[in-house]
Amino acid sequence: MKRFGNRFGMGAIGLALIAAPVAAGNRLIAAGQPVAVAKSVLTVTPSVEWNKLGARPGRNSETWTFDGDALNDLTFYGGIEPEQTLFREVSKRNKPLPRVKVTMLVTDIPTLVENSYRIALDTPLFTVEGMEPMAFAGKPGIRFTYNFTRPDEDLPRKGEGRGAIIGGKLYLITFEAPRLHYFDAGVTAFRQVADSAKL
Amino acid sequence: MAGWIIAVALAGAALGGGVPDKPAPLPPYGAAYTPTTVDERGLWQQADEAERDLRDSPVVVRDAALNAYMAKVLCRSVGEDRCRGVRIYVVRAPVFNASMMPNGMMVVYTGALLRLRDEAELAAVLGHEFGHFEQRHTLASFRRGRTIGDIIAWTSMISPYSTLPASLIQLHFAYDRAQESEADMMGLRYLTAAGYRPFAASHIWERLMAEQDATALGRKRHVTHRYAAGFFADHPTHLSRAIDLRAAAGSEGDRGDDALDAFQTAMRPWRAGFLADQIKLNDFGGSEYLLAELANGAWTPELLLTRGELYRERGNPRDLVSAAQFYQQAIDQGCTDPVAWRGLGLSLLRGQQVAAGRAALKTYLEKAPAASDRAAMAMLIGEGGVQ
Repeated sequence: MKRFGNRFGMGAIGLALIAAPVAAGNRLIAAGQPVAVAKSVLTVTPSVEWNKLGARPGRNSETWTFDGDALNDLTFYGGIEPEQTLFREVSKRNKPLPRVKVTMLVTDIPTLVENSYRIALDTPLFTVEGMEPMAFAGKPGIRFTYNFTRPDEDLPRKGEGRGAIIGGKLYLITFEAPRLHYFDAGVTAFRQVADSAKL
Repeated sequence: MAGWIIAVALAGAALGGGVPDKPAPLPPYGAAYTPTTVDERGLWQQADEAERDLRDSPVVVRDAALNAYMAKVLCRSVGEDRCRGVRIYVVRAPVFNASMMPNGMMVVYTGALLRLRDEAELAAVLGHEFGHFEQRHTLASFRRGRTIGDIIAWTSMISPYSTLPASLIQLHFAYDRAQESEADMMGLRYLTAAGYRPFAASHIWERLMAEQDATALGRKRHVTHRYAAGFFADHPTHLSRAIDLRAAAGSEGDRGDDALDAFQTAMRPWRAGFLADQIKLNDFGGSEYLLAELANGAWTPELLLTRGELYRERGNPRDLVSAAQFYQQAIDQGCTDPVAWRGLGLSLLRGQQVAAGRAALKTYLEKAPAASDRAAMAMLIGEGGVQ
């Protein structure tokens, strides 16, 4: 998750200044233009402007936001391969994350998200509220909703995810925000982005 | 030079940091106890603030019956007069832990409740934490740490290459470990006095060691037994705690009440939830050990169902075969929870046994017509959904 990105944000900025000053920074995503996301073939066309964060939660992922990732966080996971984790592990030795499995069904995606969050955020307060079938990039997929609370914060957050297993890889888009105001304010824009997903 | 510094250090340590005020003579659990010294007041203020935060947190389990049971066990263990100074907070966290704040706020994790076998073991944990409170261990450790910090600061100024700071740091952690051992022994004394089975205290640590080994093996790590506490360890090793507690319990250690039935009755409504939190930790070895330990040879439908979920979530092809077997066994043993058919169906589908999997999912939907994942399951059966 991007939250971990912030911890080494300063180091990343330092490196970025030397290595690739333009590519590594945060960037504006223009409205109405198709854009490839998460270093993958997944393409979306947002109808409003978003901000893309330079820090990625993992290798094949990318985060967009309006007001900062603590307030609204849209994350793309573009083709996570079997035996890979959803995002970067906090500690491979002591807190290993669950991995995408070749045998996974679309209904296992919410569980993968739930267990990954529980371990990475160190919180037992994560509930998948429901799931239903919904096409993702024209393929059979799933839509699910969840709520969670990060430890030492006590701020209830809501989330919604849309995903599918396509060609053995996991494609997923999640949106999460505080339950108070921010979720309802941003979820329409998220759904538009998820609806526009193409492979 | 070095000898002179050590002399100053020891004098400072002996004086307890030269703090003139002594702990108040009244016990901290007394009614309306007010800390009198600057240090104790400060620590209580911090603890009060932490308690205010925790009290309103969604992570606290607020069930009246569970909290009443915890208070009852504490009161039986340490006595009616003492237990009134303590507020117990059951915190939802799937790891073994419990802690005590200097103001009488006690925290017990649900992971500890899942791992304890009977009331005697719970009483041992509560008695141990109460021992920290009664002996004002936080205050003593804070003062000791401050004194040692002072000495290290002066030493590094006067004699920068001295090895004294290293020994002092070691001394500090050794002191914390001594406090833990003292609290262990106090917990054991309370346990014995209340008529509980004294061996209960050592059993906890013996099982925790086995669980840690199982976790390590499940993650393909080397099992590393620690026979001595490390330099920075603030607790003694599980091994030394188990040995010391067993030795102190003496030859009469297996006599006494373990109040197994009362404990199981209190935990029955909670165990499925605690287990669900445990198996989502991606700790296959530890969870499998814990389930076998809970089953103790007699696998109940509830435990079989959880074991099925554990195997299904790991999801290797052979795990899916095992998971389907566990769900089927749970059903054969009279499990009525629709989730068993859901798990069975999903395991079979993932194992490419489509017809049998769909049949099990159909049974799930018949048994749980209002399930929140109804439409998604119907899609897997082939009835509707987006194809």
